[in-house]
Amino acid sequence: MINLRYLVIYLSLVVCLILMILPLPDWVQTYRPNWAALILIYWSMALPKKVGLWFAFFTGLLVDTLHGTLLGQNALALVIIMFINLNLYQRIRVLSLPQQMFYIYSLLFINQGVIAWIEGIMGRPTSLITFLGAPVIGMLIWPWVFVILRDVRRKAMLG
Amino acid sequence: MKQVLNQTRVATMHTLILVCVCITLMIVDHRFNHLEAVRTNISLILSPLRYLVSLPALTGNWATEWFTSHNELLDDNSYLRSEVRLLNARLQKMEVLEEENTRLRNLLGSSAKLADQVVVAELLSVDQNPYRQLIEINRGTADGVNIGHAVIDDFGIMGQVVHANRHSATTILISDPDHATPIQFIRSGVRSVAFGNGNTDQLDIRYLPATADIRIGDELVTSGLGGRFPADYPVATVSVIREDLTRGFVSVVAIPKARLDSSREVLVIKPRIE
Repeated sequence: MINLRYLVIYLSLVVCLILMILPLPDWVQTYRPNWAALILIYWSMALPKKVGLWFAFFTGLLVDTLHGTLLGQNALALVIIMFINLNLYQRIRVLSLPQQMFYIYSLLFINQGVIAWIEGIMGRPTSLITFLGAPVIGMLIWPWVFVILRDVRRKAMLG
Repeated sequence: MKQVLNQTRVATMHTLILVCVCITLMIVDHRFNHLEAVRTNISLILSPLRYLVSLPALTGNWATEWFTSHNELLDDNSYLRSEVRLLNARLQKMEVLEEENTRLRNLLGSSAKLADQVVVAELLSVDQNPYRQLIEINRGTADGVNIGHAVIDDFGIMGQVVHANRHSATTILISDPDHATPIQFIRSGVRSVAFGNGNTDQLDIRYLPATADIRIGDELVTSGLGGRFPADYPVATVSVIREDLTRGFVSVVAIPKARLDSSREVLVIKPRIE
């Protein structure tokens, strides 16, 4: 029997997938933060037993299908940052939000790096602005993601 | 302590396995077509999301239609009527020409050209990978849309279908860096290939011989070579000609005819099986 309270996690996943394909003007599109990465980082910090590598892998596959990228491209990037996060989350959890932001930036940067690297192998070089822009926006949004998801988690009495 | 170490080891093992799985998936997906079924199935599960996201745009359209004033409708109506009259007049001429064409072809003994079958589709307002130029349309295999079918709007070729799901299909635009369109210059008959470069308002035609007869403003149509695109649909207009005399080549930049970034209604052309 699945615990109904854990539905909250899947619900936040659905919301994040919607945010990832929400139509935006062309010039904003390149700065779209990687919502999937942000939400996965939060849940794996809060409930590392529940949200881990396999969760990241399947989320990545969903994102790949939605975005029409190679199957496994986002999955690989998310699995890698999830691995780093699972090793470090206990130290990061005690930091203040502004300090956490730098950690989030480096994770998003690695995530972006893996994706850009794969795109590069297939002969589609990415511009520097695209490469650096999205992680910065993701980092700036992190405090809100954190606060909102923490409230959601407390309402659902998880963890 | 031992337990913690054990956990770390398990996590590392899982990561390594998943990384290998991802890399295998990517290679298989890039080189072969075996994963098309997996993609289609995941897409089917996610299709409600796509419709949900494009719902605001659809409601917006519906609302503007609903609240259009009587006068505007009358204006529209009279404009459309005159347009229909004009098109009908042109069509009459076309019919005569078509008949003449088939007669001449019969005389020459070559096969008759067949009219193409089309499906009308609408774009789903869904953003895709920022590195690529893909659009999502609301018709799929259930409506006869399949991989390789050409997609056009009312001005010219837009692209072709690369993934077909049951009720939606992903289309690659001709401006995607991975896409090449076989083309022909109408005026001079020179055949070449137009590559996308990632901008919706540019196509590159590289490595034309320096002696090729090309002028700014020349019209490009599909040549029909390669079998994907039907012949003689408008593609682009030449806007810049760059001569690289050191290498003896000419490269051309052309502006696509189709409104790649703003068309909402598109036509999918189903090729006839002969």
